[in-house]
Amino acid sequence: MMHGSPDSSRLWIRVFAAPVLLAAATITGLLAALLWGAVGQYVAWVTVGAPVLVAIWTLLRHSLDKGGLPKSGRHGRASLD
Amino acid sequence: MKARTVRLWSVVHTWTSLISTVFLLLLCLTGLPLVFHHEIDQLLGYAPQPEAHASAAHATTQQVADAALAADPGRVLQYISWDKYEPGIVTAFTNSTVDGLPDNTTVRAFDAVSAKLLGPVGVGPMLIVLKLHTDMFAGQAGKLFLGAMGLLFAVAIVSGVVLYWPFTRRLRFATIRDRASRRVVWLDWHNLIGVVTVAWALVVGLTGVVNTWAELMLNQWKATELASMVAPYAGKPPPSHLASLDGVVARAKTAAPGMEIAFIAFPGTPFTSSHHFAAFMRGDTALTSRLLKPVLLDGETGEVADSRALPVYLQALLISQPLHFGDYGGVPLKVIWAALDLLTIVVIGSGLYLWLARRRKRAPVRSGAFARRASVPS
Repeated sequence: MMHGSPDSSRLWIRVFAAPVLLAAATITGLLAALLWGAVGQYVAWVTVGAPVLVAIWTLLRHSLDKGGLPKSGRHGRASLD
Repeated sequence: MKARTVRLWSVVHTWTSLISTVFLLLLCLTGLPLVFHHEIDQLLGYAPQPEAHASAAHATTQQVADAALAADPGRVLQYISWDKYEPGIVTAFTNSTVDGLPDNTTVRAFDAVSAKLLGPVGVGPMLIVLKLHTDMFAGQAGKLFLGAMGLLFAVAIVSGVVLYWPFTRRLRFATIRDRASRRVVWLDWHNLIGVVTVAWALVVGLTGVVNTWAELMLNQWKATELASMVAPYAGKPPPSHLASLDGVVARAKTAAPGMEIAFIAFPGTPFTSSHHFAAFMRGDTALTSRLLKPVLLDGETGEVADSRALPVYLQALLISQPLHFGDYGGVPLKVIWAALDLLTIVVIGSGLYLWLARRRKRAPVRSGAFARRASVPS
């Protein structure tokens, strides 16, 4: 499908690496709280909470970008010269 | 990926999402307060509180049963249960008959030490929210319908993951193109939140589907495993008198060493035969406390009749429950569960917005094309 060349493999990894890692972390956390008692609970708080942190981090970055330097034109960044 | 393949997956994603949207929003909105149902019940005064006692000696099971029958004259006991996380409380279920409808069941909490009535359980506004979430007040048909919506949700998630590639392959992870139109911004948020919550949404969605099949699974267990366990008692009438509950509890504990009782089902109730008590035992670890083991005891003598592990499909059901409710990792996990629920609402809402925005965008094109065709002289 998209693994024909090393370039497309690299592209596939770039697109899916973070989602796959987050999915693996989530599944690990969901099972950890079920299997490892109190320690598993702490693991779950971090790993199941990771997608929430990514969303919050993106929202903050997005808001800071918007509130930063004034934009040129309709959407672009202002020219400083 | 070929353009035709993308279009095909896009059709699957659009329609599985659209068909289930209203029901998924209902499930997410009702699921949100249900994550904190215990805390909300406590806040609103619907959660019975155990009394403070100097002595730790618990009342006997028979004393609790007597108190439950005295609190509900003319009715019969169906179940007595012990919550692992509420050791100060014993819960009793009474109904007009042992096989009475679940909606006619009265659930009351009793103090584990004094056997004093503490109050009703499962009443108040959260009961309405729970009914909306589980069957929309439509009984088994409503449950199965919501299960079908859960399956559509799973298909929508899988097709969404497939579509993530063509829509994001030129972007860095978590890119929000805020210089583009509002529609593109929401497309980026929809893709990002959808893909980061994919594992959680699939687990919660599919475990919810499994939960809608609970009664079917229980009926299957009764027709096969339980029927085989009680086969030696075939043709025997229901017990003319019931064995002492304290004896039943003691023998069940002996039959399942290292385990404690989760609940006792009285003869004739849906969880056992017409002639037996069923004591459902649980382990003491995070996992084994979820996996129940039934011990069948003769209703008249209290002797152990049989004990077998539950079949795989019922064990899967029991494991699926905490994974759906998110109630097994303390309050922080509940907060995370609620946040993920809110993010899912954003994904559903943004998906609906994107579909409407695309329709609006196409409408002028269509009407323009129609106007051009209409203006062509015949």
